[in-house]
Amino acid sequence: MKRIFNPKSIALIGASEEPGTVGFGLAKNIFLGKDSRKIYFVNPKREEVLGIKCFDTISEIKEKIDLAIIAVPMPIVKNIVLECGEKKVGGMVVVSAGFKESGNIKEEEEIKEIARKYKVPLIGPNCLGIINPSINLNASFAPITPKKGSIAFLSQSGALLDSVIDQDGLGFSKVVSYGNEADLDLADFIEYLKTDEETKVISIYFEGVKDGRKFMRIASEVSKIKPIVAIKSGRSDKGKEAVGTHTGALAGDYDVYGAAMKQSGAILVDTLEELFDTSLALSSLPKCENGIGIITNGGGLGVLTVDYCSELGIGLPSLSKTTISYLEKGETMKKLITKNNPLDLLGDALVDRYAAGIESMLRQKDINGLIVISTPQLMTEHEKNAKIIVELRDKYPLKPIVCCFLGGQSVINAVKYLESKGIPNYTDVKRAVKSINGLIKR
Amino acid sequence: MEILSFEETKRILLKYRLPFCRTEIFNSKEKALTFAKQIGFPIVLKVHAQKIFHKSEVGGVKINIKNAEEFILSWDQIEKNIQGKNIEGILVQEMVSGSEVAIGIKRDSQFGPVLMFGLGGIFIEIIKDVALRVAPISIEEAMKMIKEIKGFEILNGARGKKKVDLTKIAEMIVNLSTLSMKEEKIQSIDFNPVMVTDKQAMITDFRIII
Repeated sequence: MKRIFNPKSIALIGASEEPGTVGFGLAKNIFLGKDSRKIYFVNPKREEVLGIKCFDTISEIKEKIDLAIIAVPMPIVKNIVLECGEKKVGGMVVVSAGFKESGNIKEEEEIKEIARKYKVPLIGPNCLGIINPSINLNASFAPITPKKGSIAFLSQSGALLDSVIDQDGLGFSKVVSYGNEADLDLADFIEYLKTDEETKVISIYFEGVKDGRKFMRIASEVSKIKPIVAIKSGRSDKGKEAVGTHTGALAGDYDVYGAAMKQSGAILVDTLEELFDTSLALSSLPKCENGIGIITNGGGLGVLTVDYCSELGIGLPSLSKTTISYLEKGETMKKLITKNNPLDLLGDALVDRYAAGIESMLRQKDINGLIVISTPQLMTEHEKNAKIIVELRDKYPLKPIVCCFLGGQSVINAVKYLESKGIPNYTDVKRAVKSINGLIKR
Repeated sequence: MEILSFEETKRILLKYRLPFCRTEIFNSKEKALTFAKQIGFPIVLKVHAQKIFHKSEVGGVKINIKNAEEFILSWDQIEKNIQGKNIEGILVQEMVSGSEVAIGIKRDSQFGPVLMFGLGGIFIEIIKDVALRVAPISIEEAMKMIKEIKGFEILNGARGKKKVDLTKIAEMIVNLSTLSMKEEKIQSIDFNPVMVTDKQAMITDFRIII
């Protein structure tokens, strides 16, 4: 698979210049990497595409091909796959649709057999392609090339992938639309990512798995090294229920997946937002033991945060005597009515109070991470608060900090600064709580 | 899809060390009564048939039968209720008390055998408070499963109730896990209820589907 994700040469079969076609979308994206690798376009009906000469067949290309992208009508895919096999390409991505998903099971079986016979790994069919942002490889017809980062995103759905990679603030190590899994399946990609140095977190959208046992075996192994976060659709599908058995009726498909995920050490989330939030937190922050501190300049939000924490079983250690006496040293803290966790700095808190509060909590041994809330009160110094949070994060690098700077225009610069320094900010305390929950080692 | 015969069920339960209450199957009322007297009243009568999946719904279950008179009435009543149905016989069972739990397996098309644990009776049917695991699992994992259900405190001595022996439940789940990996023709198993006390976990109702 290394050759597939790091190709030195790439051939697009079915390259086109006709606007609105998949062949054109692919050609444009592949063309973007023209300075990083050799690009070959194949289309017997065209002389050239984007100024590059077109070959009639892949066998006409003399040079070695690491990655072949196939985007031709379904009925001729089989022949092209065969030619790619003969040519001994490093790997194939079959973008073309019209296979198993349309009832053409035999046709899909045939291309799988050819791929296996020639020992050429095949991704797809019925997929969007693959992206490796760090080497400027976009072998997909996604409308954009995402930023590079450390999240690997594997998606059974192509359209969903488009919207995910377009999210602000997310950076990707590898993006794979894996389609029908005729040959390479979800578990194969997870296994590959285990040793992929750029990937810190494996993020998955899936509808089902091809081989449950294989998935569990590989996910259990990989999740010990890298976190796996997944969202599964088809929740309401109760699956094939064994008529008249309690167990059959109670163990709907989704519930069984939930159990399998848990047993494999993967995190199953409910919403896409949670998928991104958790993936981002896991890719940018250290993991920690249970025991979190909450700091806020608004009492209500503090209580709300406590509620969410207790729902998820997140421990909120009381402030120790040492922490309290440390807090009381500064003049600024004299005003505080209660010194507890959550620590309410009160509405008129300026940056000095945030600084003292955050540091006192980070110093306490059994507080392993922080949620810092800042609401826009008249005197709140968002940007200064952001700066001090970054400074203290650098001073206590093993304790994750997530922020909840709530507000519109007034917090934009502060939030931008936090995010640029790798501290996630959320627009709802519940999101902040869920993200830090994903970091807790359990 | 049919229910496994009583003899086969018994063989499987014994083979995998799954304790069940004293149970025998009869077609003769007289012989059944002799057995009932032998194990002592109160007893339970239940129809056992390949195709009757819900015994209570067809009037095939009578519980808390206290003496020979009640026994004869109940037996006749069951026979009347299931008239015309093809049955293997009627089970005579001792009455066992305890906290009710439900334990089962089903075969999932993707993951193979899946283990289920929950509180028995209405809890499982209405609240659907169950924990699931893909087999096989260890005794530690079975313990986690038991503690995972919302109603766990009911087993753990809530409101002055006696704590039940959780290890006995966990052992039963693990034995069922072993069974599920070896007996491939079994499609699903429901033990509901299993009666649990501070000393034992005892299956009082079993349904093995092949």
